[in-house]
Amino acid sequence: MCSIGEDDFGDDGATHAMVVESLPLGIVLSPGNCSKCDVNSGELYKLNFRTAECRECFLAYARHKFRAALGAAKILPRNAEVLLVLDGSAESLVLLDMLHFAQTQNTFKRLHCNARVVYVEEQKVQGRDPVHLEALQNLSTQYAPFDFYVIELGALPSSMQRIKDYSPSLNANNELIHKLQKLRSLTARQDYLQQQRKNLICSVAQCLQCTHVFESNISVDLATQLLTAIALGRGGSAALDVALLDDRLSGDVKLLRPLKDLNEQEIQFYIHAQRLKPLFEKGSCFGREHGQTASLQNLTSAFVANLQQNYASTVSTVFRTGDKIAANSNPEQSSCVHCRSTLDSEISDTLLAIEYSRTVSEAGVSLYKSGQDLEGLAKKRLENKDGLCHACRAIQAELDSGNLL
Amino acid sequence: MPIICKSKCGNRAALKRPKTGDALCKECFFAAFEAEIHHTISSSNLFRRGEKVAVAASGGKDSTVLAHVLKLLNERHNYGLELVLLSIDEGITGYRDDSLETVKQNRDDYQMPLKILSYEELYGWTMDRIVAQIGRSNNCTFCGVFRRQALDRGAKLLGVDSIATGHNADDIAETVLMNVLRGDTARLRRCTSIRTGGGEDSIPRVKPLKYSYEKEIVMYAHYKKLVYFSTECVFAPNAYRGHARAFLKDLEKVRPSVIMDIIYSGEQLRFKDTVKKPERGTCTRCGFVSSQQPCKACVLLEGLNRGLPKLGIGKKTKGERMIAKQNQELALRERANLVKNDF
Repeated sequence: MCSIGEDDFGDDGATHAMVVESLPLGIVLSPGNCSKCDVNSGELYKLNFRTAECRECFLAYARHKFRAALGAAKILPRNAEVLLVLDGSAESLVLLDMLHFAQTQNTFKRLHCNARVVYVEEQKVQGRDPVHLEALQNLSTQYAPFDFYVIELGALPSSMQRIKDYSPSLNANNELIHKLQKLRSLTARQDYLQQQRKNLICSVAQCLQCTHVFESNISVDLATQLLTAIALGRGGSAALDVALLDDRLSGDVKLLRPLKDLNEQEIQFYIHAQRLKPLFEKGSCFGREHGQTASLQNLTSAFVANLQQNYASTVSTVFRTGDKIAANSNPEQSSCVHCRSTLDSEISDTLLAIEYSRTVSEAGVSLYKSGQDLEGLAKKRLENKDGLCHACRAIQAELDSGNLL
Repeated sequence: MPIICKSKCGNRAALKRPKTGDALCKECFFAAFEAEIHHTISSSNLFRRGEKVAVAASGGKDSTVLAHVLKLLNERHNYGLELVLLSIDEGITGYRDDSLETVKQNRDDYQMPLKILSYEELYGWTMDRIVAQIGRSNNCTFCGVFRRQALDRGAKLLGVDSIATGHNADDIAETVLMNVLRGDTARLRRCTSIRTGGGEDSIPRVKPLKYSYEKEIVMYAHYKKLVYFSTECVFAPNAYRGHARAFLKDLEKVRPSVIMDIIYSGEQLRFKDTVKKPERGTCTRCGFVSSQQPCKACVLLEGLNRGLPKLGIGKKTKGERMIAKQNQELALRERANLVKNDF
């Protein structure tokens, strides 16, 4: 017995429909006539599955994806207060550039919102040298009139400063770094950090009276995130991790991912077309330097990248699976005190089976003696007293002392 | 210093349980492993007293352990079940013929009746001949589709109330990952359920080993000295499933609990209302369970018999075009014959 798929697809699934080839990423530019506007151009942008086009046509196409994501869902009210999160990656610069452009257009086409930018300084948590302030200040002049703020990851939201007043704090440690050091596995550290970062951004948004936050995740990030969430046991909330709108933040702050339909190639072309200079290389997020097999997150990310090489539609298929799922939501049900996902109300058979395994392992041969209510013991272990979801409990379990929150 | 068994039974630990990380002695491991399967069976009400249950037996580790444990628990906890072994002979020389010998050994060891059904008698084709016609790609599609229906046919023949299959926790986690990777929401909905089918006109299938780790099944078979067959199928292994499998093994090395976590995630996934739900029905041609009309087995078989083996592979419309073309050619030839006959 090698298979449990059923009926129509058989074991090969839809792989026969997947094209086993992929164009090398990287910039493919050649001179010629634009196939759209027929103007001769020194540089033609050739995206996969599209004809070659000139710089202007490409930019219009990429920017439209951003506007369409926001427009189609009608989730951004007119004149909303928006906080854009800048992390120095290529994607976040593209988002900044697109938002800036959308605001400088004529009234008819303008995106009506008031935007501020916050740069989240993560270098210290990652154990690296702080970012070049000069590069950041250049960005703030280039993208005036946006207000630029800086906050250090792990610091209190109140320590946020305007960029012109900011200087890196001297004390090398903060509470977050301490807690991260206490967690045994990199998997738990990355999971915990992701949550803490989200909480910090939410607090910053509240300080600045912003109701909406823009994050710059693109399709490959979200495909990886979906698989990671599943591997971590966060299936119930995975839909919100990859959706356009994530409303789990406190204080009614809404997290939006307007770049979710863009792919890596489009980001690279956009960076080239607009001569943007990312502050960091791709894949410089926390813990990546420990290698592929160091954590579930690193493994998943490498797996998706690798599969994409052989099956070109992997990322888009996974990403579209994410579009089809909905979050487990029940307004009457309480949510996890850490990640704010809805807690599973009924006792899950699978979670009970995990606790039952632990119970019978401890009992061993003595379980043959009757009179022990092993299932009752397992249920007691499962009872949710701490208000944490299954995945957050796994983080808490690694924290030898102290509380997660 | 020797490690003592976690259960405080006083014995030395012989192994570390992959599922919980506890060090246990052999006897305590057996007790725990069997108790878990009993718990799965009783808490999910998989069987009812007096039922006749077919154990889908391939001779591999999973089905051998399943048959052994079901027999043992049936006697220990007095389930009152009548167990029979059901095997499918796909007709793969050098693989299935050898593994069926193992199943026959199980039949004698466990004193259970055995029924073997072959593709040859059901469909008129053996896998050897199918592969000779279509080559090494997509052959697993034929084998998988036919085997699932063959199990249904066998169960009907034996008059059983349910079929128990040896799918373990690793298999299920792997399938969750694979269905996410290929965006198959219909299967994602049902691949984690412990019981599938079981409407008015279908025989339910149950997975008593749903929460048993593959590694523990191997350990159990090893320490119990069970006889099983462990050769890979001689035809190319499934490439795409292989990716998901390798990925899961890597994940398991980092965090062993990941297998249960993925199953849990799979169960927690909800789908938007706009996503189409498959409707389970019966095939109008053969009368067996299917969500399509006609069922995949019938389409594949028609392809083989028409000499168009790619008929059921890929899009339905493509298959329809192929049939139309062949019919047209046949009609042409017949007309040519008619003309000839007129003389």
